[in-house]
Amino acid sequence: MRFAIVLVSVLALSACSNPREEVTTRLANQVLLPAHEQWLASNIALVKSSRAWCAGEQELADLKQTFHATQAAWSHLQPLMVGPLSEGNRSWQVQFWPDKRNMVARQTEALLEQSPEPTQQQVDEASVVVQGLTAFEYVLFDENTDVAANQDRYCPLLIGIARHQQALSQEVLDLWQQSGGMLDQLISFPNDRYASADEALGGILRVQITGVDTLKKKLGTPMGRLNSGVPQPYQAEAWRSRHSTENLLASLGGAQAVWERVRSLVGDAKLVSQIDAAYKSVSDKLEALPAPLMEIVQDPAGKASLQALYQDLDTLENLQQVDLAQHLGIQIGFNANDGD
Amino acid sequence: MLSRVSTGGLLLASLLFSACSDDTATSEADGSPAYDDAQARAVINHYADLALAGYSDALAQAQVLRDSIDTLLAEPSEANLAAARQAWRDARVPYMQTEVFRFVNTVVDEWEGQVNAWPLDEGLIDYVDDSYQAVMGNPGARANIIASESLKIGEQQLDLTELNADLLAGLNELGGSEANVATGYHAIEFLLWGQDLNGTGPGAGERPATDFATGDNATGGHNQRRRDYLKVVTDLLIDDLEAMVAQWQPEQDNYRAELEADSVENGLRKMLFGMGSLSLGELAGERMKVALAAHSPEDEHDCFSDNTHFSHFYNGKGIENVYLGEYQRVNGETLSGPSLSDLVAASDPQADKALKAHFDASEAALQALVDSAEKGVYFDQLIAPGNADGAATVNAAINALVEQTTSIEKAALVLEIQALNPDTANHSF
Repeated sequence: MRFAIVLVSVLALSACSNPREEVTTRLANQVLLPAHEQWLASNIALVKSSRAWCAGEQELADLKQTFHATQAAWSHLQPLMVGPLSEGNRSWQVQFWPDKRNMVARQTEALLEQSPEPTQQQVDEASVVVQGLTAFEYVLFDENTDVAANQDRYCPLLIGIARHQQALSQEVLDLWQQSGGMLDQLISFPNDRYASADEALGGILRVQITGVDTLKKKLGTPMGRLNSGVPQPYQAEAWRSRHSTENLLASLGGAQAVWERVRSLVGDAKLVSQIDAAYKSVSDKLEALPAPLMEIVQDPAGKASLQALYQDLDTLENLQQVDLAQHLGIQIGFNANDGD
Repeated sequence: MLSRVSTGGLLLASLLFSACSDDTATSEADGSPAYDDAQARAVINHYADLALAGYSDALAQAQVLRDSIDTLLAEPSEANLAAARQAWRDARVPYMQTEVFRFVNTVVDEWEGQVNAWPLDEGLIDYVDDSYQAVMGNPGARANIIASESLKIGEQQLDLTELNADLLAGLNELGGSEANVATGYHAIEFLLWGQDLNGTGPGAGERPATDFATGDNATGGHNQRRRDYLKVVTDLLIDDLEAMVAQWQPEQDNYRAELEADSVENGLRKMLFGMGSLSLGELAGERMKVALAAHSPEDEHDCFSDNTHFSHFYNGKGIENVYLGEYQRVNGETLSGPSLSDLVAASDPQADKALKAHFDASEAALQALVDSAEKGVYFDQLIAPGNADGAATVNAAINALVEQTTSIEKAALVLEIQALNPDTANHSF
């Protein structure tokens, strides 16, 4: 009897130190900030590699490899981009997807016609379509650019894009790390952004859930879910580099890193195991895809496995958006994909 | 002992709750309902009245449009073309205010594609300039139905000899591409204006009235088919709007009856989700941010007519209408009744006031798009590369809508609606 009372008060005391605040702090320090740091590091590497290849000091294959790593860092970050990166025009400068009308090719070539050697300022002031990784991918991988034979034409732009990405990721990281910046706002409350740890955690979860919803969109669009089931291979993300699946896996990893820290708040063991199983199932199915997404969507034999993957993503989304949100008492508001 | 421990567990749970959720809705804590059930039901009934009035006005204006198109076809003069274009713009005023009923009312969503699908690969319908850029991989992008009596898509051979409503409706999403839009407001818009070949510079589509002439002065080619096409799609629009009006008539076996028979919570959820989806994802996102960020006039909503400023303004108005329970009809009368605003104000007057202030701000920001157009600088010029002032004007509208959406979420919380998406709200373990 006495033991029970003591136990309860100890637990209650620790409750007042607020497990949600602890989880939010861990998320900020162990997941969100490092993801932004890795994104910057990947862009620094991209600048270096672009310069090296353009100077004839590196193979094209190496530059492509560096580009894949930058794409992966950005993909990992997408379900984590709470705060500065999601504001203003910033995330739009990183990637332009979907690009149904091939604006990337048109705007990139138009810029180079107009300014054969675009200055950094011209790149920084250009349309988001030519500032980001999608344009970089177009230059490196599109069959019409033949970049290896056209270094003179494309090198100034490649370096310009990489430098733009580096500056953007540095700017965002500064906004995280400065005094009173995003990191502080996720750790001490109330502040200008969040009244409480609850609100901050809700904000993180909302972005993460939107990230999972975006994964569904990135898979469903090339599958033809918006087009009466007729495949749309050119609407696959990163179709030119044939890296859609790797990107999806990296994004899933970002989302899962949030879940790993939130798990301790969930008192419902059944829900925990359902969500764990859903992550595993999506990840297993993605890893098992036998070919690049833009090819699988065109192969009737691939339809069933993509359908099953989509279904698993849907289950994962619902478990988090409905059941987890309800369990934690967090409102999941509107996301930019609503209304599509 | 066991029971003691579990009592402790309960206590612990309540402590945890109070320690960790300082700011959650107060109405939950005091146990009183967030709204009066009968009053909420009246709000949902009035929402249906707003839909009925909106679609009825859209229908009436579409009938005016049909009359003016009949006049144009009888006498294809520039004056009659200008009158038909004005009738199209007028027809958009009530229709755009009904778009807030999309996203949540399945009967509207399933119907909408034939009525307002966008953006389209207009080369499906008629002749286009060499500079035309279609969606990659769209097999119908240059089908030019007006110039062709048959069409081969993949293995499929289609007979286009007789242009009728069934044929054209069946060509929507031809070959699976959502950019293949053969019917609806934007198909009519393309036929009345033609392509806007000015990019982000001044000017809209400039189709000559003689594209509808059949005599010596005829331009464009295949004019009888172009005339038939315009006539058929306009009649189809009217049929579609008639069908939607019928879905919202009271005391019928229709969608409205379904909505009214559903739970009050679901009804309120639908109202709020429609508002937020149009505000954020569709209007701020698809219709403004994509076009602005990419400087892409092809992603402009009314890209042939350059009427986009009004389309956006009346979309915004529609969102506000649903919250306030008000709609100013085309004849000038105001329909008003029980509203979400009443329900929210009854439990949290501050939240109601805040949302109303956001509506005022977004209306002013959208009005700035209209003012700019009236000074000769249209939406497609505002999004031009290097137009910093234009970008600021469009961004102000986007930001006002984003902030308004946050306020809509707060209003939803006042009404204790946490899961906003009706598609997933009823999902259970």
